Amino acid sequence: MSSARWRFTLLAAVALGAACSNDPTSGAPRAGTLTLRLSTPRSDDGALLFEVSGPPIDTAVVVNGSLQLFTRRADGSTVVGAVVGGLTNGALVTLRVPDVGAAGGYTARVLEVADRQNVLRTSLAGYALTVTP
Amino acid sequence: MKPIGSSLSLLVLLALAGATPARGQQPAAGSWGEELRRLRGGKSGLVRLRAAPRFAAIVAEREPNNTVATANGVVLGDQATGVVNPPGDVDTWFVDLTAGQFFSVDVDAFEAGSPLDATLELIAPDGRTSLAFNDDFDDFDSRISYRIPTSGRYYVVLRGFGATGGPGLTYAINFGKVACDAVGTELEPNGAPGSATPLVIGGSGTGAICASDGDPAGDVDYWAFTARAGTTIELDVDAAALGLLVDPFVALYASDGITRLAFNDDNNGDGADSRLQFSITTTGTYFAAVSSLADPGGNPFPYTLHLRSIAGGPGDPITVHAANVGRPLGLAVGSTGDLFAGDLTGNRIVRITRQGGMTTFASGIQSPEGLAFDAFGQLLVVSGDGVVYRVSPQGQTTRFITDAGIPIWVAVAPDGRIWLSDLSDRSLRRYSATGRFEARFDAIDIGGFGPGPLAIGPSGEPHFSNGNEIWKLVNGQPRRVLGAPFVIWGFAFDVAGNIYAPSPVAGRILLFDAVGTTLADPFAVGPDAPQAVAFGRDGTGATEARLFATEMRIGQVIEVNPAGVAQRGLPMGFVPPAFTRDIAVKGLLGGGGLSAADLQLLDAIGNHNGRYDVGDLRAYLITLGGAPSAAAPAQRRAASQP
Repeated sequence: MSSARWRFTLLAAVALGAACSNDPTSGAPRAGTLTLRLSTPRSDDGALLFEVSGPPIDTAVVVNGSLQLFTRRADGSTVVGAVVGGLTNGALVTLRVPDVGAAGGYTARVLEVADRQNVLRTSLAGYALTVTP
Repeated sequence: MKPIGSSLSLLVLLALAGATPARGQQPAAGSWGEELRRLRGGKSGLVRLRAAPRFAAIVAEREPNNTVATANGVVLGDQATGVVNPPGDVDTWFVDLTAGQFFSVDVDAFEAGSPLDATLELIAPDGRTSLAFNDDFDDFDSRISYRIPTSGRYYVVLRGFGATGGPGLTYAINFGKVACDAVGTELEPNGAPGSATPLVIGGSGTGAICASDGDPAGDVDYWAFTARAGTTIELDVDAAALGLLVDPFVALYASDGITRLAFNDDNNGDGADSRLQFSITTTGTYFAAVSSLADPGGNPFPYTLHLRSIAGGPGDPITVHAANVGRPLGLAVGSTGDLFAGDLTGNRIVRITRQGGMTTFASGIQSPEGLAFDAFGQLLVVSGDGVVYRVSPQGQTTRFITDAGIPIWVAVAPDGRIWLSDLSDRSLRRYSATGRFEARFDAIDIGGFGPGPLAIGPSGEPHFSNGNEIWKLVNGQPRRVLGAPFVIWGFAFDVAGNIYAPSPVAGRILLFDAVGTTLADPFAVGPDAPQAVAFGRDGTGATEARLFATEMRIGQVIEVNPAGVAQRGLPMGFVPPAFTRDIAVKGLLGGGGLSAADLQLLDAIGNHNGRYDVGDLRAYLITLGGAPSAAAPAQRRAASQP
């Protein structure tokens, strides 16, 4: 690419970006955070293994400092994680994503739950994870 | 929950196994009369150890006298005569006695040529309460010596053993007070160190244990001798060995006459007799004391005390690592090298530094028995109240395992699993590292006592004592490892698989190889009554070639001579996996990196459900000290970049 064409392309991109940022109603991606929320029927959960699929996720951080989170990107669209600690209903993990508008595209699933004696739950009935803005 | 009493009584039974002489009808060897005759041949003039045979009156029985209501009366100093006829006949006598009198009631029948094998029973003034019973004391003849607690009318009941009877089964009963005279070479009064009778190493002394009215606290005979440092001495009392159904004990006191260095009662290869060995570390005068468990209420009896010099073991001489520990039983060693000992009567766990400093680590644990560190660095303590407690590194105590009947000992395997010995149904019980019951293994069929103390062997298999033997579980089946002449308590392995086995009743530590061959007996005779041994650890947690033992009777934790400990100790308890935390996490999240053995280990650390899951990860993180839990939430905040 010649120098002239490169400068033109850059200017065009800046102009387009400026136009987009001034228009909140447009469908352009907007980076931000989403919340992974847990719904549990129990009060003595000690660890949870989960999976989140969908659009890209940049980082994941627990919302409560008393919890520990470990994650691994299984493939381009799936993240597997484990949270250890005293789990309760409500916000569990904060997900930093490139497009908060795509929240509806995420699917979260509880894979395993253990109690605070480290015993694995035999049933996951009543457990649910949701990704919300 | 079972009562503490049952647990402790079983402990005592285990410790004193064989302490009670059998009530056989045939004296084992010799006899009272023979012993007296033998002693009469000594240098001193000897007198019979019984009430003087001069009677105020000779009173013949008047039937019927089968009950306290129809008892015939005598007074102190009388001799009663009668015949046990017909079979099943019971002759009852009453005598009025005064509190404090040391009453003697002595049958002469067999020795006088009667075929009667009599039994005697002393009944309280209420006419019902049995205060004392004796079958054979002097050959087949019976005798009771009893200090009268309250003034009143007491009853003496004579029967033929086995409800025998017949016109020829005559007897005489001498009612009197116990009289003691000089016997053997002892020089009475010798009831205190200051008046001890001299004795020399290599020599013997003879005497009698005989409490009387003038000796209400009972008779104790002190013997004084001089011993040089480096000498290992043996004090050996023979009394029961002479055919007498008596139970002497022997104690060794330091030069101050107050500090008790060693004690033995029974089960040192001498039946009801006693024998102890001790390594002398300071040249000086020492005192041996002989008395009777039955004193001050038992029958008088003669004895011989032998004082010998014997070869010590490779673990001698011992040194005192910590004193004033109460009555220490269980022993565990922490990851920084501190010793943790359970104080049975102080209901506490003490922490003893490598330098010997002692502090109370946890209190309020009733009669702590076995101790072991779990996979999470917390101390498990088996309590006499039937609960296994878990004590945090900060000394906070929580109930942990509550479903065992009478747990007595605990050990933690390399995979973190917890093993308990349970006396209630004579079994071994296995729990997950988190305290979930997994399996029970019957130990009834192997006989003996217990299962008692247990330890994990080099192969990870639990080994346990059933009294005089050590067994191990192989694929759930018990296999005998070794037999010892004495009851074995809390033993330990070195890295070569050799077993250091303390025997409280024998007063020494024995050493066996991995297949049960005796390598050293004694390994150390310096300990008085070692209860449990454990190898020391250095500041990094690595085991050392240093062996410590609890000394319950004298309240000490001692160390054997480290020059005699050839190998370092087998690492005890949970062995952390070789992989890192990140690998463990990655393995759970699907990233691989764990071998089948790793997965099995992680599962064993956790919930042992057959696969590695998030519960296992949580348990593993706790072993690393970094997992948040309800009890102790971690402060670390984790961020993760997938």
